Amino acid sequence: MRWQNPATRVFGTDSLRRRMPGWPYRAALLLALPLLGAGAPPLGAEESLSVSGRLSSRATLALDDSSSKEDPSLTGRLVIDAHQSAWRLYTWLEGGWDGTVASQNSDHALLKDLDTVYQDNSPYLEVKDLYAERALAGIETRVGIQRFAWGRLDEYPINDLFNPWDYRQFLLKSLEERKIGVPAVSATISRSDWSGQFVWVPWLVPYRLPGPDERWSLLPATSTFPGASSPELTPLEPDLPARNLQNGSAGLRLQTLGEVEWAVNLFHGFDPRPVFGATALTTTGTDHGQDTTFGIVPSFHKITSIGLDSAMVKGDWSLRAETAYACNRVFTVRRELWETSISQGIDPSLLPSMEVTRDTLDYGVAADYRPFEDGLLTIQAQQSVILDRSSTLYDQTVETLLWANLKVGWLNQKVETSLNLAWNPEHSATMIKASTYYILTDFWKIGLTGLLLDGPPQSIFGRYAMNDQVMLEVVYSW
Amino acid sequence: MNRWLFIMLATLLSGTPAAHGGMTGREVYAKVHEVRIRSLDRQTEATMTLLDKGGGTRSRSLVEYSKAAGSDAYQVLVVFKTPADLKDVGFLIHARTFSDRDLWAYFPELKRIRRIPTSSQDDSFFGSDFSYDDFGGPPNLDDYSFTILRDEVLDGTPCHVIEVTPKVRRKWSRYVAWVAKGQWIHRKIEYYRDKELYRAGTFSDVRIVDDIPTPFTMKMENIPTGHKTDLVINSIRYHTSFPDELFTQRALERAGK
Repeated sequence: MRWQNPATRVFGTDSLRRRMPGWPYRAALLLALPLLGAGAPPLGAEESLSVSGRLSSRATLALDDSSSKEDPSLTGRLVIDAHQSAWRLYTWLEGGWDGTVASQNSDHALLKDLDTVYQDNSPYLEVKDLYAERALAGIETRVGIQRFAWGRLDEYPINDLFNPWDYRQFLLKSLEERKIGVPAVSATISRSDWSGQFVWVPWLVPYRLPGPDERWSLLPATSTFPGASSPELTPLEPDLPARNLQNGSAGLRLQTLGEVEWAVNLFHGFDPRPVFGATALTTTGTDHGQDTTFGIVPSFHKITSIGLDSAMVKGDWSLRAETAYACNRVFTVRRELWETSISQGIDPSLLPSMEVTRDTLDYGVAADYRPFEDGLLTIQAQQSVILDRSSTLYDQTVETLLWANLKVGWLNQKVETSLNLAWNPEHSATMIKASTYYILTDFWKIGLTGLLLDGPPQSIFGRYAMNDQVMLEVVYSW
Repeated sequence: MNRWLFIMLATLLSGTPAAHGGMTGREVYAKVHEVRIRSLDRQTEATMTLLDKGGGTRSRSLVEYSKAAGSDAYQVLVVFKTPADLKDVGFLIHARTFSDRDLWAYFPELKRIRRIPTSSQDDSFFGSDFSYDDFGGPPNLDDYSFTILRDEVLDGTPCHVIEVTPKVRRKWSRYVAWVAKGQWIHRKIEYYRDKELYRAGTFSDVRIVDDIPTPFTMKMENIPTGHKTDLVINSIRYHTSFPDELFTQRALERAGK
């Protein structure tokens, strides 16, 4: 497989200009202006201003010599939270030098934008949250770039659909770190025994993928095509849906409080899960003869999801459950079906669609339990059922994910250890992640993380099977 | 008086209310209960210092809001301000009665609220030697039995020394408390698991704030590990009358802001 940075390979200068990196931020700020009125009120006696941050330096030792390597990273976070009476301005910025980036975007853009899938920026600056909030008559209205947290499950929540993920370092980042902030308008009403939240995301923000020559690529860096004359696969940037009212996402969450907490979640909008389509074969003459390529393009599809979640305490257990029925979810067919055909010279445009649309039912339960003081065990089981599954799919009719995490604080939480085990039994895919952090002072900590992954190449963990690694991290927080 | 007769009388009287100012252990704790109820509407800013055996220290600052919510109900919100790792981590209690309460914790890193079983109330409060329960309101007196052990002067303060034994499931089997006469607050406490003393604390620098005696310095030690925690009140305000909205899950997510 040939890989060139899509920003240079696929788009000319015009298309880069068309995309205007950074314009969504400006648009979000424009949206926020009505809330701000003539500008934020001056900070007064009731003001509060909180500034905090974190610097992290990380070095990774790849345990598999044939895997893509990464350089050391230095990344930071800055969180500013300003309040004055009913007003709030909140921002969460991240940036730094990302050692996983293998080849820079040609424009060397600093700011990660909200409309590009393949973004190789290092150094980079990313806006995770940037919103203005106004609380009035018991309703909080927020305008700007936001992250949401719907549902109850950890790591792979079922009803948490507004924020697409950044798949760079997918299995190392926490759920909130993976989330990409989206421009949104949200309104939240909170009462003593119920609460509700309405969210509107006016346009699609795509998920982000590393390139195939990078360590956390979803696409393998090496071609699986047989034969030297096979067409080459080139990841392409998609043409995103037009920015109009029809192409937004919206949702409503209503939650009751009490001994058993219930919530209903309604969502209509773009599915954040990655799906790929293909372009027609292109043959170009080169010095060496003919070069045949085809493009693989991320595609985006709307779904409608109706979900429920619940939480309760039973004895020593804190229990959580979540379910959702999603209509019109799109899946990419098994890789070998289209790869083999294309490698035999069949134009992808003449093949049956790479995409299959089905309804799905997802459900899961989780429990927190303290086996001893300063120890917290979380276990989670979830399944995804594809209704009327097509045999062309890699996913089985029922896909199961079992996950457990044991966090222990030692020496009054001076040492923090975490052990994660995950298993996808349908494909015998496993993940083991263990970390130990030593708290040096209130500001400094140092930690070691080990990651072992196994499974077939298209499975959730197996696609990263070469990414076994040990990571050393030094963190300064303030 | 015959020496043996004196010993017999003293032994008999030590088990009767008359020997302790006419009060039983339960009556002493009813007074403690009354003071704790009076102190429920408050805002406290405090600094918690964790001291390990090797001399290392870590510091945490927090703010606590509480509110009486009926004759025997209350609500508490505790939010950490520092260090950065704990900033905006919060803990919410809704006590429907003194013996029936819901607990939640919020972790900004997860952006999610977690329900906490009440059985965790005796666990370490975020690595300190205090427990979650130490930040709760008064207990239900009917869930405990009280025995006056003796009277004792502690650092110049006359105290009733009372043994408190739970009738409900707790992670300790009993505690012995030194209750200051007249002020009806704890001055010293020792928690036992069976016969083993595992946690001990003192309450000092008592000041009268809004007619409520308030210890400004609290020290707690984990006896087996030697780890200690000092909790110093920086400011406290009573009769605050916070709105109900401050004690919602949304307020927990917003760190009380």
